[in-house]
Parts: sequence; structure tokens; C-alpha cells
Amino acid sequence: MLQKKVCVLGSFGVGKTSLVRRYVESIFSDAYLTTVGVKIDKKTLTVGAETVTIILWDIAGEDEITPIRTSYLRGAAGYFLVVDGTRAETLEVARSIHTRVALEIGPIPFVLLLNKADMQESWDISDQPASALENGAAAILRTSAKTGEGVEEAFQKLAQRIVP
Amino acid sequence: MSKAQLAQTVSVAPDLETQRPNPARSKRLADLLVEVARFADQDVAALLPTRFERDLRLDALRSVLLEQEQNALARLQQKFDDPRQFAEAVSAVLADAFATAESRNEQLAKTMAPILERAAQTSIRNDPSTLVGILYPLMGPAIRKSIAESLDGNLQKLNQAFKHSFSWRGVKWRLEALRTGSSFADVVLKHTVEFRVEHVFLIHRKTGLLLEHVAAPEAEGQDPQLVSGMLTAIQDFVRDSFNGAGGGKRGDGGGGIDSLRLGDLLLWCEEGPFAFLAAVIRGNPPDTLRAALRETLTQIHADLRIPLEEFQGDTATLADLNTPLGGCLQQREQPQETHLSPWLWRLPLALLLIAGIWTALRGWEGYRVNGYVERLRSEPGVVVTGVERSGGKWRVSGLRDPLATDPAKVLAQSHLDPSRVVGHWEAYQALTPAMVLKRLTAALNPPRDVSFTLDGDIIRAHGSAPQHWVERARALIQAQPAGSAQVDLSALTDVQDPTFVRLRDAIQAHVVKFNSNAPRPMPDQDSQLDALAGELRELNNVAADLGFSVRVMIVGHTDKTGDEMSNLSLSAARAEVIRSMLRARGIAPGMLPVRSTGTLEPLNVSGIESTAMNRSVTFNVSTGD
Repeated sequence: MLQKKVCVLGSFGVGKTSLVRRYVESIFSDAYLTTVGVKIDKKTLTVGAETVTIILWDIAGEDEITPIRTSYLRGAAGYFLVVDGTRAETLEVARSIHTRVALEIGPIPFVLLLNKADMQESWDISDQPASALENGAAAILRTSAKTGEGVEEAFQKLAQRIVP
Repeated sequence: MSKAQLAQTVSVAPDLETQRPNPARSKRLADLLVEVARFADQDVAALLPTRFERDLRLDALRSVLLEQEQNALARLQQKFDDPRQFAEAVSAVLADAFATAESRNEQLAKTMAPILERAAQTSIRNDPSTLVGILYPLMGPAIRKSIAESLDGNLQKLNQAFKHSFSWRGVKWRLEALRTGSSFADVVLKHTVEFRVEHVFLIHRKTGLLLEHVAAPEAEGQDPQLVSGMLTAIQDFVRDSFNGAGGGKRGDGGGGIDSLRLGDLLLWCEEGPFAFLAAVIRGNPPDTLRAALRETLTQIHADLRIPLEEFQGDTATLADLNTPLGGCLQQREQPQETHLSPWLWRLPLALLLIAGIWTALRGWEGYRVNGYVERLRSEPGVVVTGVERSGGKWRVSGLRDPLATDPAKVLAQSHLDPSRVVGHWEAYQALTPAMVLKRLTAALNPPRDVSFTLDGDIIRAHGSAPQHWVERARALIQAQPAGSAQVDLSALTDVQDPTFVRLRDAIQAHVVKFNSNAPRPMPDQDSQLDALAGELRELNNVAADLGFSVRVMIVGHTDKTGDEMSNLSLSAARAEVIRSMLRARGIAPGMLPVRSTGTLEPLNVSGIESTAMNRSVTFNVSTGD
């Protein structure tokens, strides 16, 4: 049995939890996010001939006064970095988180998710600043919790990178 | 090389090393010059023996060829010779040297061990506080944990011991403690510890990934992979929140959750360097379980140290963990009370109950029968001679005066089922004063004014009664059997019934008149006879009411005319005729005896014997049989 720990990171309100909710097995309520600061979900994928169980650590969003608990990152094989496409400032937070993750546990695969792709009229970020993170990203995808766009693909992209 | 060059080399070489005069070098130079002379001239060579044991030319050559190496060697020599320089040189490579040696084999550790031990001993001898200071961060938590566990165990024992001190089971366990020589608390714990390990998770510390999970049969639980992740997250959360800034690193032994209780469920965590064991336990486990968990985790680390350290999420890289974890699924249940079929105790209980009720009822019945018999014995005229129980019935036998109280009445008052008590009574005549009195009362039917009292063994009658009654009473008393109670009637006064007296006087006042020498009354006497017959009937009724018999003697009279014989016949005839005439009027002749007096009992009216008056019939009322 192959298991991998994957974190979901991003600023507050970027839609991390909503994004994965429809695609994972879960037994814990969202209340854990506000109490313990993390909620564990699970998703089983097939990568090539290998079946891998992604243990998803949905970590409470970061803002100016609440940094993410870096202890929750340890042992992660990869992570999703979620940005709210309608709020450019969340990209900065993502960049900061990315830097901290690299410092804390070294360079590990990640997928940058530009969320709320269904709200194109309010889209606030161009592809250019997003590409600044591209050198480390396994992929950059536009996703939508509302339509489900890009979510399965995101899991697949990251899994391909972390499964040996 | 030419001699000149050689000479130059010899002369220059000292300059390279030092400019200072050196006696040894001067001697050496002189020896060299002698050797040069021997080389130049064979005679000198023969005359002067060589001053060198070796060929100086080779040395000179070596100097030229290996000058740089020699310089380097000299510097090295100097480093070796100078302790300060040598220490500096070694310190630069010491760490790498240790690492290399350790990676090759365990020789370094073996070599270092005694040295370190001696060093530690020396350090402790010199100043124990130094090592204490070093070890405190390690030993402190370990000691605290050990003491806490020990205290927990003792508290557990104390709680249980206190809880069960005053119960019946407590008494039994105290006896067991005495018998086995164990402490009471231990015996209590042995009997009350009840637990079941429902889940055991082995979780990789670094990633929080599940390494293995085992569960007791029928134990309920959520997805173990998710639970593992959340347990790890909560451990991290607790460490981050309560261990301060320095306590956040996993694998540093910083305190995470050691024990967590939620109602009946208990979570015990044992942490190792690379994995931690979480056991979900229902109930109240003993300390030995904690030790078993720790031992299992230690063994797993010993067996799988490298795979655990290098774990990347693939559990296939680990050996079988199911078996060692399965050993942690311990449980202990209180021996179930042997549940026998309810009938095994209900039936005897019911029988016992029935027997008890039957015995109680029988006892109660016996008690009542005794009461009944006692009452019978207190009744005059009843002698109980035997009480026995046969055929499911009580049989009471004895003697009973017919006038005594009916035993059936006494039985009814004793609240006994009449069908369960059978009486066998032989009649007899009781001579006790009470029974004699009863008999007299029954036989004599005393008038209302008459009462009897018992004065010792004597029965005394009081009040007033008609003569005829008194006579009857006296006759009855005389007929009593010998030994009967004495009856005293002397206090009775004689009285007659007024109606009786009136009727008697009225009847006795009648004089039925006859014509001379006629056996039949005068024709005008019919009305008188009618009245007489009515009075006789009334008298008879009164006498019957008063309980005695009455007779009315018809007495025939004649005047003195004629001879005596004829007169007697005539008077007899007259009495009989009246008797017949009264009979014709419904008067029983049995109550009308006749007597003829002829002239022997002449009737006087105011002292004057009347001829007409004596041609008559008169009446005389008497009582008694």
C-alpha cells in the first residue's frame, strides 16, 4: 500500500476546503480547521500501475496574524498551493508560503491552483505573476470548486510527480 | 655533477637552512673536505680513512633531487613535534575521522566506550553536578513520566480499593488478600480491572501515515488512515501549543498526548523515534498493558529501524507488523457470573416458598385449633379428651353435656374452616354448678322474676314464682344425680298469676243448680255453663302459657232429701252430666275430674245451709299433674 501525505495550503478564503470537498473521503468536520488548524481527508488515485492513497492535510488558511503551523508540513510528499484568482493578494501569500515550505522541508513537488475559475469577470491576476512560481510547480491549473474544473487533473498531476 | 658543483652544493646547503654558526655543521663540513681530498688523491685516500659511514655524494644527490619533499617532510615533522600544531591539525579532521570510522564498522564505538565510561566516571567524581546538568533534560521527563505512571497505578489501586472497601465483595477480597499474602489494593485491582484494546495504530511520526492498524473483532472505528493523520495532527497541535518554541520537533521526545480519556474510551500513545503506537482502549486497563505497548514499539524499532527511518509511504517496505500489533489487542473481562437456567433457582425457590407458605398456614391453623380447643375447655359441660391431625383434618374429641355450648358455634368464632375440623362428642351429664343451673333453667323455664346466682357450689334462686312452678322446681332438683350442685329455693316467694287467680276464682264461684231429684241442671243454667266453658278454656290457655297443667274438679251435691245412697248417686250423676255438658262445649274431659259428695259436703251460704243451694254442682281448680 502506497500512501503519500499532501498538504493543501493557501491564504484564508481561497476555497481550499471547498475545492477538495467533493473529491475526497472525509470523516472529520470543518470545525477541526478552526480548532486544530487542520483537517485530514483521503483520496485514492491510480498513477500508472500504482494505486496511491493521498492523505490530504487541509491546513487552515494563512493571514497576517495566523501563520500556518509548519509542523503540519513535515513529512509531506507534495502540496497544493491554492490562490484565489479574484484576489491578487492571495498570490503573494502563496509565494510567501511556498518560500517557507521550501525552507522548512526542502523543495517538494507542488501544484499551483488558481481557484474560482468560474468567476472570470472578477479575475484579478494575470498569467505573468503566476508564472513566477512556475519553476518549482508541477503544474499551474485553473480550478473551480463550483464546477469542479481542474480538480481531478490537479490531483493527477501532483500524484504523478510524487509517486516514484 | 662536477666537484665544483658538489663543493658549491655543500657550501650553499647550510645557507639554505640557517645563517647561524653551527658547530655540528662545521664538523660536518670539515669531514666533507677530508672526503673531497680522499677523492682527489689516491694517496690521501689511503692515508686518511673515510670520516663518513655512507656516501656523502649520495646524500648530496638526494638533497638536490628531494629538496621539496624534504622540506615538506620537515614541516610535517615540525607539526608532529609541536603539540600545539599537531592538535590543531588533528582537530581539523577529527569529526570526519570519527564519521568514517563509524561508517566502516563498530570498532570505534567499542574503542570509545570504555574511554567514555572512564571519562564519565572521572567527571562524576570531580563534579557530579556537571553530568546531572547534562542529563537533566533527558532524565527529568523520563523520571516524571515514570513517577506519574507509578502514581496513576497506585491511584487506580487506591480508587478501586476504596470503592470496594465496604461491600460484601470487599470482605471476600480482604479474606483473599489475607489468604494469598497480597495487598488488598492488588486483590481489588485484580478483580475489577476490565478492559478491551479495540484498536492499535502504528503511525509514522514524520508523515503521520498509517503503518499498520489492527482492531479487535466487532470493534467499531473510522477509516484508520484518516484517524492516523488526525492523531498525528493533534499530537503536533498539542506539542506546538504546550511545549513552547523548542518543543515542536517530532522525534525529539517532546511530550505529545500520552493519555486521553473520553468517557469509557481511553487513548494511550507510546512514542518511539520513528513511529508511535496509539491504542484505543475501552475500560480500565492495568499498567502492564502500557508496558506491553512500550515493549512492542521498542521491538518494532529494533527490527525495522532503517525501513522506518527511510519510510516514504510504501508499507510494502516494512515487514509484517500485524503480528506484533495483534499481540497488543489484549482484553480482560470479569468472569461472567455463571448464569444457570432461571428455573434451577426459581423452581426450588417456588417450592421453598410453597413449603414455607404451607408450613406457615399449617402453623397458623394449628395455632387457631389450639385456640379453639382452649375455648372449648373453658366452656362448661365440655371435656376435650383428644386433638389429633389425620387425613388432612383436625379431629377434636371429648365429652359434651347436651346443654353445653355447641362446639360448632365456638368453631365458627375461631375463624377456622369448619370442613377442616371434625368433632367427636360423647354426651354426658355434667354436675358442675354452671351446668346444673343450665339444666334447671332449661327444664324449668323460670318466670321472669326468678333469677339464679352461683354462690360457690350452691345455686341460689331469687325472686317470686307461682307455687306450681316452685313445686316443679323442687321435684326436678330432687331428681338430680347424686353429687350435683346444691340448689337453694328458700329465697323464692310464692306468687300467682293474676289472670289465673281471676279465672280460678270465677270458675270456683259458679254453682250450677238442679231441681229436686233431677240429675240435669235447671233449664236456666245453660248460660252459666256457656260462661263456665269459656272460662275453662281461658284457664287452660293461661296454664299452658305459664307452663303448668290445670284441673277443675266437678263436685256434685244433693239436699238432704232422700236416703244417703240415692243422694250419692244423684250427686255423681249431676257431676257427670255437667262434665258431659262441658265436653259438649269443647272442654276436654281430661281436665275435668268428678267427685260426688251427696250430702256429705253441704254448701253454706252465709252460714245457712240452703236446701236449694245444695241441689247443685260446684267447681274446684287445682294445678299440677
